[in-house]
Order: sequence, then C-alpha cells, then structure tokens
Amino acid sequence: MSRWIGIGLHRGVLTTRYPSRPDPADGTAPSAVALEISELSGVQAVEAAGLCPTSALRTDGDASEGSITFDAGQCVMCGACVRAFPNAFRSVHRPEVAVRSRERLSVRATWTPGSGPALEEAAVAATLARRSLRLFRHSLHIRHVDAGSCNGCESELQMLSAPQYDLHRLGLFFTPTPRHADALLVTGVVTRQMEQPLRDTYDAMPEPKLVVAAGVCAIGGGPFAGSLMVHGPLDRILPVDVYVPGCPPTPLALLHGLLLAVGRAEERYHPAGGSDGA
Amino acid sequence: MTTLRELAQTFGIEVSTRAPGELWSEIPEEQFTGWVAAIAAAAVLADLFATTGEGEPSLTAVFELRGDPEWLAVRCRLSGDSFASITRSVHAASWYEREIREMHGLEPVGHPLPARLRLHDWPEGQPPMRAPVDERLGAGPGIPERVPMVRGRGVFQIPLGPVRSGPQESGEFLFDSGGEDLVAVSPLLGYKFRAIERLAEGRTVDQGLVLAERLAGVSAFANGLAFVQAAERAMGVSIDDGACTARTLMNELERLHNHFGDIGRLADATGLLVAGAQYAALKEEVLRRCAELTSHRYLRGALAVGGLTAPLPQAELRMLGRDVPRWRRRSRRLQAVLEDTGTFTDRLETTAFLRPRHAAQHNLVGPIGRSTGADRDCRRDHPYAAYDRVTFEVPVRSEGDALARLGIRLTEVQQSLAIVEQLLDSWPPATTGGGGAPGEAPGSALGWSEGAGGETLHWVEVTPEGRVARWRARPAALVNWHVYADACASGNNLTDYPVIEASFALSHAEFDR
Repeated sequence: MSRWIGIGLHRGVLTTRYPSRPDPADGTAPSAVALEISELSGVQAVEAAGLCPTSALRTDGDASEGSITFDAGQCVMCGACVRAFPNAFRSVHRPEVAVRSRERLSVRATWTPGSGPALEEAAVAATLARRSLRLFRHSLHIRHVDAGSCNGCESELQMLSAPQYDLHRLGLFFTPTPRHADALLVTGVVTRQMEQPLRDTYDAMPEPKLVVAAGVCAIGGGPFAGSLMVHGPLDRILPVDVYVPGCPPTPLALLHGLLLAVGRAEERYHPAGGSDGA
Repeated sequence: MTTLRELAQTFGIEVSTRAPGELWSEIPEEQFTGWVAAIAAAAVLADLFATTGEGEPSLTAVFELRGDPEWLAVRCRLSGDSFASITRSVHAASWYEREIREMHGLEPVGHPLPARLRLHDWPEGQPPMRAPVDERLGAGPGIPERVPMVRGRGVFQIPLGPVRSGPQESGEFLFDSGGEDLVAVSPLLGYKFRAIERLAEGRTVDQGLVLAERLAGVSAFANGLAFVQAAERAMGVSIDDGACTARTLMNELERLHNHFGDIGRLADATGLLVAGAQYAALKEEVLRRCAELTSHRYLRGALAVGGLTAPLPQAELRMLGRDVPRWRRRSRRLQAVLEDTGTFTDRLETTAFLRPRHAAQHNLVGPIGRSTGADRDCRRDHPYAAYDRVTFEVPVRSEGDALARLGIRLTEVQQSLAIVEQLLDSWPPATTGGGGAPGEAPGSALGWSEGAGGETLHWVEVTPEGRVARWRARPAALVNWHVYADACASGNNLTDYPVIEASFALSHAEFDR
C-alpha cells in the first residue's frame, strides 16, 4: 500500500485551477460553433445548411430571399460548416458555453434581394438568476441520469473525477440517491424506455431542485431527433435550468455549466459570435 | 480446413467475390439453416442479421475462420415471415435470432427462448426496423415481468438500475441472492434503444457516418471506421497510404484511452483509488492529445469517406511521439505495482469466471474473448487500414477470470504504444486521402475494425446516389453481453458485482443502439 502512496505523491498535483485561472487544456477541443453572419452570403447559407447532419442549420427560402437559423443546441460539431466556410463558422474554444435559456442557443438571420443576411434581434428576456440558486452556492449534490446517451457524456462526467479536474474541490458531488440531490444532470436523448425512470428520479428529488441538460442530445435530440424511439428533447419533459451544448460537452464545459447553475459563473456564449463568444 | 473458400466448396456452395476479401453466396431458403449450422461448426459465426424492406426479407450469416483473411457471407431470401432457428445447434446465434424476431418481425421457428431483448413498452406486430411502422402506436406489453430466476427458501431478488449510482449508463440488473451469494443475474437491457440503423436509412453516407460515430461514445472511432470502410468498399472508393496510417494511429489511440479508463475503473471498483486516479489521469492525457490532433477528444469528425477530413498536424504528431515513452514508463510502473498488490489481484482471481469451453460457444470478441482462449483480433486476422505494416502481438489467456481480462488489457496497452511508435517512425506525407480512383462498386459491403471492446463488424448497402439504403452494425458489446449473466453466476458474491461490471466494461449504448 505504501507504494501507492509513493506513486500518488510522486505524480504531484495535476489539478486545474479552473475557473479561477484558465486551464492549460482550454482550447484543445472546441466547445461549440459560432456564426459570423457578416461573412456569409445567402448562397453560402443554403449550401451550409445542406452540409449539416442535424437540424442545427436550417434555411427557408432560397439564395435571393430567405432566412437561416443556427441552433447551437443541435450542433454536434462535426465541423462540416467550419471546414466549408471558415470565415463564417468558427469553433469556440473557450469552455464557457452553457446558457440558462434554450432561446439563447439559437439565432436567425434573414436576407432579401440586394442585401446580405442580417441577424434578427431575438426578443430574449433576460434570464433572472433564480433565488434558489444561491442556496447551492457552496455545495451542490448532483444526481446524473443517462436518458439514452451514447456513453460519450458519461465518459466526460467520469473524467470530472480524474485528478486533472477533481470536481470535489468546487463543492460538487455526484450522489447515488435522488433524495439527497440538488440538481438533476441529464445526458442523452430521452428514449421511450427511459422517460419513466427519468420522471421518477425527478419526482423523488426534494424541492428546490435544478435540472441541467448536458449535451446536444438532451438539449434538442441532436442526431437522434426524429427517431420513433425517442421522446426528447428534455425540456419537453422536465423544466430545464441550464443547457450545456457539446457532443459530448468537455469536462471544463460541464464544470462551467454546473457553476452557472448555482450562480457561480456567468453566461459567456452567444451563437452569433459577439465579444464574449471567442 | 484452411480457408472459407475450401469450406464452401465442400458444401457445394458457389461463392463470388464482391468487395475484396468478401465471399458472398446466395443460397435457397430451405438449405440456409442446414448449411449455416454446418459452416458454423467449422468456422466462427461472426454475425447473423436480417434485412426487411422493399422486396422479400432476407437473412445473412457472416463467417470468419482463424488464419483466413477473407469473410464468407451467406444470404437467403425468405418467402414468408419465419425461418428455421439454428440456435439449438449454434448457441452464438441465439441473441441474433431474438433480435431478428424483435426488430424485423421474422419468427425463428424452434428457438428455445424467443423473448425480446430490448423493447419493453412496445406493441406486438410493430417491429421497429421493418418499414413502415404505424406511428399511432398503442400501448405495449410494458416492462417484462420480473420472474425470479431462482426459487427457494431465503432467496430474494434485488433490482439494480436502470438509473445507476454514479455517472454511468442506464441499464437494469436483477440479482437473485440468498443473502451474500450471487446466484443469478438477469440483465434487462434496451433502455437506451434509439433505432440508429433505421434512422440512417435514406441519409447520405456522410450523415450516416455522423450517426455511426455516435453509436457509442467510447468506441466512436471503431464504429465510425467500420462504417466508413464498409461504405467505401461498397462504393469502390480506395484510400491512400497517408489516410490509412492516420486511421490506424487513431484506432490505437482510442483503444489506448479505453484500456486506461477500463483498468482505472477496475482499480476503483476494488477500492484502489490511487491506481484509479493514476489511470484516469493517463486517459485524460490521451484524450487531450486526441483533441489536439483532431479537434475532438473522442476523435469524432476525423473520418471522411475516402480518407480524413483533415491531415493530422505535424507538430501535434511530434508531441505524441514524446508522449509515448512517458506513457509507457508510467503505465509499466503502474502495472508492476498493480500486479504486486495482493489485495487487488485476490479480488480478481476467479471472479466472474468463464469456462473456456462454455465461452467458445458464444464466439466472444475482444479482451473478454481473448481471456478465454479465443484467439481473435481482426487487426491481425483481417488487416485493414495500415495494420499490415505494423507488427504486434495478440495476447491470449485461458483463465477466463477478471484477472485474465485485466492482464489482456495491460498487455494490449503496451502493444498499442508500440504500434503508435511504429506508425510515427514511418509517417507518410500528410494527405487527407480521396485520391484513389473509384473501382468497381458492389453496392454493399462489410467493414470492420478492432475497437477496445473487440471486433466491430458493420454491413452497409449504399444506393447509386450515395445514400445509406441499409445498415447493420454489430458492435463488440452485442456479442459479449450474451455471456455476461453466465459470468456473474459463476460463484460470486454481491460485493464482487462492481468488480465484475468493471472487468467486463461492456457498453450499454453499443448493445442498445
């Protein structure tokens, strides 16, 4: 046994200082995609939507008059649009991509003959931090439910316990029982057969409680939207407080999402670039 | 018998080569069962699947034989909605036939237990893989009745799942126990069934690849590679050297991070937390290197039909070259101490034991198969990508317990590192492939890869317009779950269960699909 202690000590501290300091792994894997609408023409928008394997990019109309919707909550980051139109679609490398409302993940732009696409100002009401959030500022117990994932999200959740992330240092804990849980973290599309166990878990949690939708499958169904066996997305079934996009969300993006849920982090991501989206 | 071609000849089956390395034969319906059972006695039944769609339903059996790089696929058209079961003579066919009944509505006549594998709340007469499904679905039979496997004084049943204790995949297990001993375990799977193969039908091959990469997260690359290779072979697309080498490298990186993760979770399951943390740290390092190489921690989006979406960056490859000796040094040190920690190895010895003769009837794949003497690894047996240019050993053991499975994974870690090193030493000029001239397009083909869990075999039929007509995925976990209950019931205690689960490391998503 003493040899294991030696091995542990010898490796030293590997743990990130995130969020008080940026993590060295920041930027190795993109956390989302952002759209720079001024770099996209109507023709390109129609072409880009044809490349998208999910419904993250949808267009109406044609190259001369129409609209494009970019929904980061459906983007699996396959990179097809980023490779085809690198000026218009950029990978967002910062991990702070979680948001508090579903609307904040999508933007719509319209164009008419003679003028290029312009963003529609979405009337998104400022999401007020819920008072209950403050209750969990110091410690949050999380009940995870896999509602039909591919195991990618679970793998990243398990990595949160790896020495590099060590979620316990932030007062975050996974709990086996919903009775002790403050937050329900859901991954995967909600399949027909997981809907009831998911509802049961939510109902067994005491109030107040938070719900975090992690990964595009939970947010919008991702690549599985439209399957007969799928009941998702999650916010059709449970009230969702925080959305963490990604396929899967990186461990740092998950940490940011959890900290956002308890009011210890700010929203930084906007699907149409913006100063905070870089 | 040395080759499948000779084997087919002895049975008088005429074979034709479609894609390279694939022998196909159409045989009459009434002879199918007899011939498949006869071939399966001499060769390994690697898959048995049905297609239903336009035209008659069909059945296809895929075989491989140790020492023969070719595959043999035998197909028959069915005139009705039933076929004669071969399960009584070929045990490995049991779950395939149950799946065919459940998903395609074809009845295996004579199957000893044709129960459902995945669907709980789903009406009879609406097989989800068979078009068209009535969208106005009535109520189903509900969750299967929980019949105790064991009856007797003091025997009770403990349900576990589908929502598990940690951040894990969903699946349910029923334990029959007399208090401490694990008499029987019945897995209730299928909670996560998404009908991926059906979803891909009619989509472009590129969109199909996005789904294949999401069939299971930790084997994203193995499934993506098997799918894309099948599609390329079906469309007659050839791949150049550079893309092949890069694919081989990524295949090994995925095997590596899975093995690190699985060994770490096994250590965690026995309470050896320092080892668990050290292996998790190694896994995280591999994932970060993958992210730098391909912009994705699980290598999604790296593959494209005809090669890669982008060449692997040279600077990051050099970094990987520096990682390999470090990873080797650290993993060897951890391995030496692990193997010398008696409290750890004692928990694994004889735990979840599989008798090799019993295991052989299941045609197991991957480390689970190789721990029971099944000498099967499609990187060596059916070399794909650049595996014919590297040398490596395939470890095989015969004890069949958790310790043997650990031993296989520990050895494979070192082999993977050696393969990565060999590839980096002879790295061809950067390409993304796609330069190959289109060859003959057979329209449908097999594709395979060896993931961390074992042989992953896909079959894809592509329309002339480049869309997925039909897709059959047979991931490693589909084969290996079949033997799980037997391993659990080999004289273990309830407290052994976390060790059993971690030593098998079976993916629910891969099975449920």
